[in-house]
Amino acid sequence: MACTNKALKIVYGDSTLGIHGMCGEKDFHYIFSYAKGFESLVSDGKEWLYRSPVPAFWRALTDNDRGNSFHLKSGMWLAADMFIRCIGARVVADGAEIPMPVAPENNKYSDNETAESMKIVYTYETITVPSVQVQVSYEVDIEGGIMVCAHYFGKEDLPQLPVFGLRFLMPTCADKFVYEGLSGETYPDRMAGGIKGVYEVEGLPVTPYMVPQDCGMHMDTTWAEIYRSSELDNTRKERKQTVLRLEACEKNFAFSCLPYTPCELENAFHHEELPPARRTVLTVYGAVRGVGGIDSWGADVESAYHVDATKDIEFSFRIKP
Amino acid sequence: MKPDIKWLDNPEVFRVNVLPACSDHQFYQSREEMKEGKNSLSLSLNGTWQFLYSKNAKERPEEFYQSDYAERTFEEIKVPCHIEMAGYDKIHYINTLYPWEGHEFRRPAYSLLGKAKWEGMFSEAEYNPVGSYRKKFDLPSEFMGKRVAICFEGVEQAMYLWLNGEFVGYAEDSFTPSWFDLTPYIKDKGNVLAVEVHKRSTAAFLEDQDFFRFFGIFRNVTLYAKPQMHVEDLWAKPVLSEDGTGSLGVDLKISMQEGMTGRAEITLTDKEGKELLTHTMLLPGDVRGKQQCAGAFREISCEMSQRDLGKVTAWDNHNPYLYHLQVVLYDEADRLVEVVPYQIGFRTIEIKDKVIYLNGKRLIINGVNRHEWSAEGGRCIGMEEMQKDMACFLRNNINAVRTCHYPDQIPWYYLCDKNGIYMMSETNLESHGSWQKLGGTEPSWNVPGSIPQWKAAVLDRASNHFETFKNHVSILFWSLGNESHVGDDIEAMNVFFKDKKDGRLVHYEGVCQDRSYEDTVSDVESRMYAPPAQIREYLENNPKKPFILCEYMHDMGNSIGGMGSYIKLLDEFEMYQGGFIWDFIDQAILVTDAVTGRKVMRYGGDFDDRPSDYEFSGNGIVFADRSEKPAMQEVRYYYGLHK
Repeated sequence: MACTNKALKIVYGDSTLGIHGMCGEKDFHYIFSYAKGFESLVSDGKEWLYRSPVPAFWRALTDNDRGNSFHLKSGMWLAADMFIRCIGARVVADGAEIPMPVAPENNKYSDNETAESMKIVYTYETITVPSVQVQVSYEVDIEGGIMVCAHYFGKEDLPQLPVFGLRFLMPTCADKFVYEGLSGETYPDRMAGGIKGVYEVEGLPVTPYMVPQDCGMHMDTTWAEIYRSSELDNTRKERKQTVLRLEACEKNFAFSCLPYTPCELENAFHHEELPPARRTVLTVYGAVRGVGGIDSWGADVESAYHVDATKDIEFSFRIKP
Repeated sequence: MKPDIKWLDNPEVFRVNVLPACSDHQFYQSREEMKEGKNSLSLSLNGTWQFLYSKNAKERPEEFYQSDYAERTFEEIKVPCHIEMAGYDKIHYINTLYPWEGHEFRRPAYSLLGKAKWEGMFSEAEYNPVGSYRKKFDLPSEFMGKRVAICFEGVEQAMYLWLNGEFVGYAEDSFTPSWFDLTPYIKDKGNVLAVEVHKRSTAAFLEDQDFFRFFGIFRNVTLYAKPQMHVEDLWAKPVLSEDGTGSLGVDLKISMQEGMTGRAEITLTDKEGKELLTHTMLLPGDVRGKQQCAGAFREISCEMSQRDLGKVTAWDNHNPYLYHLQVVLYDEADRLVEVVPYQIGFRTIEIKDKVIYLNGKRLIINGVNRHEWSAEGGRCIGMEEMQKDMACFLRNNINAVRTCHYPDQIPWYYLCDKNGIYMMSETNLESHGSWQKLGGTEPSWNVPGSIPQWKAAVLDRASNHFETFKNHVSILFWSLGNESHVGDDIEAMNVFFKDKKDGRLVHYEGVCQDRSYEDTVSDVESRMYAPPAQIREYLENNPKKPFILCEYMHDMGNSIGGMGSYIKLLDEFEMYQGGFIWDFIDQAILVTDAVTGRKVMRYGGDFDDRPSDYEFSGNGIVFADRSEKPAMQEVRYYYGLHK
């Protein structure tokens, strides 16, 4: 069946769920792996995922983080950020949870399955001690819009979090990104000077702090658009710029769009030690620790800008293909 | 007099034959030259000099100052330039500890109740590099027959000077000008100037600033010809009264040929050229004060007492209104001999009911600490960098600067006058290596402390500082130095500045280290990096003095979070008057990366320099290339709230 604007075409695969459709003239194709997460997001012919999005718990230490020994107290979140287990997935079709459609359960389906909405819910478990769970759900609507909800279930005895977010690794570098939010680089305790507006950022700049560290945060964002021309698909010779758009739902979100993961940044003493930029690392945040500034040798970030790991954190946004 | 290498070891020797510190005025031989801004009475000696590097004093070419010395082994170096940046000596960054930490055991002379061993500490050190500089020059025709003086605006850290084989003098205090009289030895042609610069001397104990540790001639070197009559020193004393009227007094030190007569004409005009004052003093006719004879010249001190000017426009950040003061010297035949221009301003700075007022309004400091820095030249910067920095200040609502932790180059003071930037001008003194250990306070061998043998050296620094910059309206605070603990010697510096009765306030943070000096050191309660709650605690408990933060908001890397909590205090407490962000520019050095071939920024520890404090050298609100850090918009916003 060809994709139409009237329903989502659903492919109940043996280890993945395929969702296909049209939005106006553009087609979209999503594949959710039951084991690995959201594996493929093709919009307008272009793949947007290099690896499945994962919960983000770490930011590359800032000089102030190092100064106040934040890493010595909260370092377990670095490991949690790097290594995480997906412990389960659930599928909801048109609002009703269905038995996991894996063989032999999925034998009942045909090559002509449709739905008006599909939701996949992943549960992750961290390797922190104690361990904590995160639920990430993706609900695809008939136009291919994806409502993304991330929920962190707080637990006693866990140290403060640097951040909580969802990190997308894209196959190639973005040309630029555009967002509506605050000017410049902002953090929860450094955003009074940000001016509301629509901003276009060429390339994927890494703020040239002497030692590479977390940077490029944009608080209080209404929407963000990532523009990419390059792709890895060996058959595609022409470079066509396409866009992926994120929109805030109830609350504005924070995001950063960099060519590096926190660990890549963490590892470098100087910018020239960073690997050649080859991917886009888009992280959408529901909670961000402030940067502080009283001093760089012990003063903590003001308590209002801590991220308390003992409490639940939830955020959501919508991806528009 | 014969120079002695042992002066390096002795804190009581810090200037030999250096002319008295004087105001930083320009002087011209005609009004035309003044207007054109060219000066045939000055000759820059910046440029290429002959140079030889030696690892220590023993290995230096001792006879290199002889006119006929064979320079075969000499190479070339640019002046001004740090010797390390020219590749001769290792670039090294360290914060509080002395740069010889882990390499040499040293205790300052006369410390530990005189038990410290210090003979030969620097003069016989295995590692204490020497830069031997030679420069040949001829006098321009305008100089011939005139007295000639030379001004070294900055040489780190100790220098011996010869001209044509004759010893001229010795100077320390790296960040203020050192003037020497060359007249006795100067020739019209074929002069050979020889400068021997030592990386370390006892001055090193007083110049332990948190920065890259350099040596060499790093600021301008200029020859000056003095006309027959010459303003050696100018001290303009503008006074602004509460009713908005002004008055002006002027102290002059004039050197003139023995037997000569003439007059000094003092005029003051406003921006529109309207004359507010003309006053003539006969020379040496109505001389008040002392006269000093020096050969065929004598120096006379004369004073124009305060004269009323009527209504004047006050100088401040919003309207940095400057008046044009001019001193013109005429000889007996009424020929103009010398003209000295100076831009002065009228303002009052005072503490009333424990609050600092500028021109009757509560002072609010939206400040930043500023090191002189460029990624290419280190602390060797020029007008271009200064102008960029000033433009950045103005763009971002920064209204005040602290010259951490030494006086800056002269043009920066003129720029601050012109642009209404309030200055806390700091004396070249920082000795935190002598009392800050492993994050704690341990002052057992602190210098200068209360050690009598170190007092004259720090008073000399205060005097060089004051005399050079006393005419700059932008200076609201004299700062005694930074992080040097406190004792009788610093107390004496406080007395020195107060005795000048110039109305300015004296600042010193280190009094926090010993409250017994609280009443005799510093007009203000100054802290660094105090969290907002601590400030509130001080201000809510019978505070003695108005409060400022000489350093706050440590902008290392990605920082400046929580600035609002400080700015809020301005509304809560009249006595909280703001502070100076630490600091303006990242101290990083631009090099070519051997691996990638890219031009990259390097910091402490990147030159095999150990021990080091690594990236602690980068705390700027601008990057080392002067582009603004993202946090700047936050600074601009908060500093815009109390403009």
